[in-house]
Amino acid sequence: MINASEVLSSIQSAFPGAVLDSRVESDRRLWATIDSEKILDVCKHLSTKLNFDHYSGAAGVDWIARNEMEVVEIMASHGAHQVVAMLKVKTPRENPSVRSLTGLYWNANWYEREIWEMFGINFEGHPEQYPLLLSDELMGAWPWRKDYKGYPDLTTGERAIQITTPEGYMELHVPPTPAEVEAGTVVKERPKYPSFREREEKEIKSDAEMIMHLGPQHAMVPGPFLLDILVEGERVKKAFLDLGYIHKGIEKIMENRSWLQGITYTDRMCYVASLSNNECYCGAVEKILGLEVPLRAQYIRVILEELSRIQSHLIGTGEFLTLVAGVGYAPWQYMIMDREKIISLIESVTGARLTHTFVRFGGVRNDLPEGFAEQCRKVLPFMKSRTEEFIELFAQDPIYSLRMENIGSIAPDTAKRMGCSGRVLRAAGVAYDMRKEDPILVYPDLDFKVVTGTRGDSADRIDVTLREILESIHIIEQCLDKIPSGPIKTEAKIPKKVPAGEAYYRVEDPRGEMGMYVISDGGDKPYRVKVRGPFYATFQTLTPLLEGVYIADAVAIAGSMDGCPSEADR
Amino acid sequence: MDGIIESITQFQAQEPAIFALIIGVVGAAIISAVVNVGAMLVIWGERKVLSDFCNRYGPNRVGGRWGILQLGADAIKLFTKEDIIPGDADKGVYVWAPIVASMATMLVAAAIPFGALHIGGKDIPLVVANMDISALYVEAALSLMAIAVFMAGYSSNNKYSILGAFRGMARMIAYEVPMGVCVISVAIMAHSLNLVEIVQSQTIWYAFAQPLGFVIFVIALITDLGRIPFDQSEAEEEIISGYNTEYSGIRWGLLYFQEYNNALLGSILLAILFLGGWQGPIIPIPILDIVSPLIWLLMKVVIILWCMIWVRSSLFRLRIDQVTDLGWKWMLPLSILNLGWAVLIGSYFA
Repeated sequence: MINASEVLSSIQSAFPGAVLDSRVESDRRLWATIDSEKILDVCKHLSTKLNFDHYSGAAGVDWIARNEMEVVEIMASHGAHQVVAMLKVKTPRENPSVRSLTGLYWNANWYEREIWEMFGINFEGHPEQYPLLLSDELMGAWPWRKDYKGYPDLTTGERAIQITTPEGYMELHVPPTPAEVEAGTVVKERPKYPSFREREEKEIKSDAEMIMHLGPQHAMVPGPFLLDILVEGERVKKAFLDLGYIHKGIEKIMENRSWLQGITYTDRMCYVASLSNNECYCGAVEKILGLEVPLRAQYIRVILEELSRIQSHLIGTGEFLTLVAGVGYAPWQYMIMDREKIISLIESVTGARLTHTFVRFGGVRNDLPEGFAEQCRKVLPFMKSRTEEFIELFAQDPIYSLRMENIGSIAPDTAKRMGCSGRVLRAAGVAYDMRKEDPILVYPDLDFKVVTGTRGDSADRIDVTLREILESIHIIEQCLDKIPSGPIKTEAKIPKKVPAGEAYYRVEDPRGEMGMYVISDGGDKPYRVKVRGPFYATFQTLTPLLEGVYIADAVAIAGSMDGCPSEADR
Repeated sequence: MDGIIESITQFQAQEPAIFALIIGVVGAAIISAVVNVGAMLVIWGERKVLSDFCNRYGPNRVGGRWGILQLGADAIKLFTKEDIIPGDADKGVYVWAPIVASMATMLVAAAIPFGALHIGGKDIPLVVANMDISALYVEAALSLMAIAVFMAGYSSNNKYSILGAFRGMARMIAYEVPMGVCVISVAIMAHSLNLVEIVQSQTIWYAFAQPLGFVIFVIALITDLGRIPFDQSEAEEEIISGYNTEYSGIRWGLLYFQEYNNALLGSILLAILFLGGWQGPIIPIPILDIVSPLIWLLMKVVIILWCMIWVRSSLFRLRIDQVTDLGWKWMLPLSILNLGWAVLIGSYFA
């Protein structure tokens, strides 16, 4: 297995002068600034020669003081080695533009679109540079740049006024200021692109085809997103996805809150997995601060994150089953009932049911309550037998296999290329788990397997999820045996201002690989927080999977991905 | 008692036309009351039993802890809701669809015997229109519901509705044929198409005499009633609510109600055709012995309905192509096989 410095020297020898600046943080993290002319060649070299087959995401950073922008490409490998390469490409702030990686990595598409609409960085060679998360009136305002004034422009003291459009809808309208009218700059130059509606209606080829909405308000969607399917009879011919219905701009909000306050925002990204979101953010900040987490706190974190994984898997599976079987399906109610037991366990520690805000920099908020281990040992064997019962139930159900097997199958290579994560990737047979690939806390000391499937279809996804619950139970049981006594918070004083630096931290969220890229400029607030959410990555693969299936199967595929639009939109 | 019966028989002999008219009007009033109250109880029962399967309480506020008045409250709500007809809907058809649905159920109810009274040592069947071909008639009238569903889906001018309507139609055609063949098989064994005579001829229940036919009829019946695993025409996770997506208020209420009316009538039909109808030992207690056939039929119907709810809480919904596949490739050939079996056995015992 190669390490970070070997990767760096390989790049330097292949492309002399391409690496402008570099830092090898550890064996697993490489930071390098690459010449913007050579980024494509470097990435091609990485993917073909050095097994960097996992494009993990990209982050845009606006360095307003240096008058430049940065795109950070996050590259990793599906198990060949454990190096994460953070390649930075710089571009001037006036007309920022970098090369698009969509030709090399299929899944770069969404990450680059997001950076384009938020920062206004143009990606040369991007096939469909359309807005993804933002609404049309915000396009061209580049809201995540540091000099963004807010919408409506709050610095002028003007508020948007409510108007009624000719069609009878209420809309917010921002009147131009007198200064703007005088200067004649009222008409803003907006980028030209076809709207979502125009794009999908272009695909209608005959009278027999129609566009059907599955969402944003639909019994199928776990949260608001728009999935339009072009159907001919019962067949789906093409699918279109539109996000951003609950875009909260959490990454931008966190830039305006203190370091500690940021934890509460990570809860709200995906409230069924808030503990791993907490962990991800705190872990990144701890890395910048160089904090050591006491062993007991590490064990507490692992126990709670695994409990949280169990409850997330239960509700994810149960909800999906109702999509295929109808709400009267009894096992789903049993899953919810069992989940309640886990939730009560977590609640007894954190005091909250969903939004915990429990992890702290260098520790956890409070210790385990009295009798927690006994409670756990009572609930876990029950959960285990219940989960085994569910696995057996689905294995024996003929209608279940009719509806789920060979539905939405993904081959391992396709899953890697599309950058799926979590259960979708593992069901396809790729054993890729952050707990093994990028181990944090005490995970290296614990014995557990990475569960994988064989066919990569909906049935396998459910099977993998349920068997992961068994693994989580096994992990918690080990932790309860091994947990030492001691402090739950680090002795070191945590400063209000975090020293300048950057860190990328990955955890295994219930939905897959979650990473947070945190930059500090030495202030009391983060300079930039980039969240690489697992469902955002998996979500991108949905539309190609839906081509050519039946409507009922489209629901069975979309549901099996354990969606959390709240986290995809952030 | 004997005097009353004697005078009635006398009146029937003197004025047969008026007698038939009186029986018809009184019977119609009674069955519409019985069927509708029965359907309300079925809805309440389904909500309670399904909740029990799912480890919930179900209705438990309105009308005491059993929530028995919940449906009254729901009905008041539906009646007082705003009646919305979509602007682009085909208004005539849209308005008539729920009425056609109600009519279809009432037509079925007219010919179905709701049991019998045991008076003077013999069973007097409780049926309004005792026709010679009532089995065939009921079969035909039951499929009228599919027309109503199609009317509702087509006239709504809604993508989900029209898909639901198409699905309903495809399903109805695929399953009405095996269902009809099963009814014919029963009629061959019973040497009659009259439901009353079919019950009387069941010395051995036809569920045991032709088990294959029984299974096919049960599946076809569940399909006809549009219940899980065959509720594709209103699969809410796929097409919102299917054919009745655009309906609201009491029009929706009527469509919803007819499904349960049909569930009730279908269960009675199943009990009559295959489970011996109201047959059963007479309870040797005064008054109870008169209604004991009624009690037996009611018991069978309740068990059938309970099983349907059980199926709903434990099975997945099939895809529409799998449904039609099952109907044409398995149910139809098997039902014809069953017909052959019925002819063989029927002629042997005749």
